[in-house]
Amino acid sequence: MKRREGGSNAWMFLWMVLPIFLIFGWMIGVAWSDNSFCFGCHQDESLKKQDARGRSISLSVSEPGFKSSVHGKLSCSDCHTRIKDDKHAEGGQKAADKRVNCATCHEKADKEYQQGLHSKWIMKGTERAAHCYDCHGKHNILASKNPKSMTHVSSVDKTCNRCHADAVFVKEHALGPPLPKEEFRESVHGKTGEITCTNCHGSHSLKSLIDPKSTIFRSNIPQTCGGCHPDITKQFADSVHGVLAARGRSDSPTCTTCHGFHGIKAKIDPDSPVHERRIAMTTCPQCHAAERISQEYKITTVPVKSYYDSFHGLSYRGGDTFSANCASCHGVHDIRPSSDPKSMIHKDNLQKTCGNCHPGASENFAKGKIHLVASVKGEAFGEKVVGWVRIVYILLIVAVIGGLTFFNFLDWLRKTIDRAR
Amino acid sequence: MTKKYLRMTLNERMQHLNLAVNFTLLVITGFALSFSTAFWVTPIADLPMGMTFRGFLHRLCGVATVFLGGYHLLYLAFTERGRKIVKDMIPGLKDAIDLWETLKNNLFINRPAKELKMPRFNFREKLEYLGLIWGTIVMTVTGFILWFKTEWLQFFPMWTWDVARAIHFYEAVLATLTIIVWHFYSVIFNPDIYPMSWAWITGNLTEHEMKEEHGLELEMIKAEKGKLVEFDKAAAVGGGRVYPVHREKEEKNSSAGGFLGTVRDLNEKIKNWRGM
Repeated sequence: MKRREGGSNAWMFLWMVLPIFLIFGWMIGVAWSDNSFCFGCHQDESLKKQDARGRSISLSVSEPGFKSSVHGKLSCSDCHTRIKDDKHAEGGQKAADKRVNCATCHEKADKEYQQGLHSKWIMKGTERAAHCYDCHGKHNILASKNPKSMTHVSSVDKTCNRCHADAVFVKEHALGPPLPKEEFRESVHGKTGEITCTNCHGSHSLKSLIDPKSTIFRSNIPQTCGGCHPDITKQFADSVHGVLAARGRSDSPTCTTCHGFHGIKAKIDPDSPVHERRIAMTTCPQCHAAERISQEYKITTVPVKSYYDSFHGLSYRGGDTFSANCASCHGVHDIRPSSDPKSMIHKDNLQKTCGNCHPGASENFAKGKIHLVASVKGEAFGEKVVGWVRIVYILLIVAVIGGLTFFNFLDWLRKTIDRAR
Repeated sequence: MTKKYLRMTLNERMQHLNLAVNFTLLVITGFALSFSTAFWVTPIADLPMGMTFRGFLHRLCGVATVFLGGYHLLYLAFTERGRKIVKDMIPGLKDAIDLWETLKNNLFINRPAKELKMPRFNFREKLEYLGLIWGTIVMTVTGFILWFKTEWLQFFPMWTWDVARAIHFYEAVLATLTIIVWHFYSVIFNPDIYPMSWAWITGNLTEHEMKEEHGLELEMIKAEKGKLVEFDKAAAVGGGRVYPVHREKEEKNSSAGGFLGTVRDLNEKIKNWRGM
């Protein structure tokens, strides 16, 4: 009896301890196991479920894919903490929220992400704004240094293009024009293989164009480009354009106004807006020959027009790249007003500027008006003289050629009449 | 066989051809700059370095034309035929009357039409030749200013260069239109001449052409017929064609006065030097 009683105690103890062991053992098993328990079902490629909208969603997870991922050593339940739908509950297995919270481990990234535009759209209820897994993948996440990773520098543009080059998606979400898929790839940045979307746009915390904290906000663009091109940004910041851009003038150009955005080309590429054959045709005139801007800033469109009529401009328009274009005299990134002593077109520097192409240009060479418009009402003396020469010559041409034509026409008429008789 | 009258010697035809080629190239390469985006410039603009080549060719032809002008001046000064050209080219009252009467003929004011006898160079030709000389001088001066801007602008203000540029352009328009309207009418589109006066290739005019355009000259030639030299004695460069040569001058050797005569006499003496 004693034994029986003793045995009963032992059994009691066993009954009490064993479930604890079992439960803990099972939990530990799930937690520390090779996930074979989950993969037992989820390896099945045909495993599917239907979501609320009736769309079919695959529930299959590739085991080798997961194993080789950066999270390969984690347990399923480390991320899927609360799987609580009916199916898992029936089996008595742990249930969890189907949404995985990356922030549990990746706190910093999540903090950045919460400031970013993608999270804002999710908060506003946009279903298809990017979650972590949209860019990083789900079970097969690889370290971004791994060339096969979705976030490897060689693949980021493909990852972003999944949405941003999709015409339907872009239209639905009013993201402006869809990016042509190859535009960035063929750009001077894309070709390096080292620069990708995130270099300019940021990654987790990427912000909207209109967010003043954004890397691509108008006045921040020089800073963003300066990350790699610091000397040029320094030059630009002091230029007439840079100063205005920094003050938030929306009409003043920044880097992208002249160089373009995603498809930035090297300046030797004929398609580049800063190619020497286009710079004076489209790039500078886009503002300096524009009615609105010239009115707003009280600048005239005369320089463009008079340049086109000058020897430099005429030869340039015919394709002469030795002929001076806007940048030859005004500079490139460090364009300054003529009143600035550092300006290439300041009166003290003009002789040197002209001398770049005209060796031996004298002091007198650099005097006088360059952007000259022939007009008898002109401001400069030369303009008036040329205007008068023009009028006199046109009258002369009309009189002489008109007279000669009249005389010869009569001669022809008379001879023709004589022949007809 | 119809009678032929020498109009242009081979030398003169070469000068004409030279000028025609250079002038055409100058017109094309010049207006290719002024209208550098025009469709007809694309063959030049699309060439690699096309515009640079255009500028080079323009200057080359300009220099060639200046040299041709210099040669022509020498020809006028140092050949008998050249001096005759100068003499015959001087415009006079007769030319104004010819022009006026031509106009009246053509307008049926003169009824019946007056028959005009015009000299070796009629008013059309004088007008054109003198215009050509004027144009060549203007284009040469302004052209060299444009070319040697660095040198020019050491002494003159920028606006003079701009003026030179304007003149160079408008004078070019004037010259080109004159050639088209005036010269091409005279030698191509004139119903009496059409399809073309062959004088610039063959050097000859027919008797009919002479009668129409140079009646006075024809009369003089016929009056001087006795004085005409034989075929083989006529100017070698002229290809032995018939044209008037004043025999007295042939005979009166070394009679030219002034500086030229002195030089020529000296030359003769040196050539015939047989020692003291």
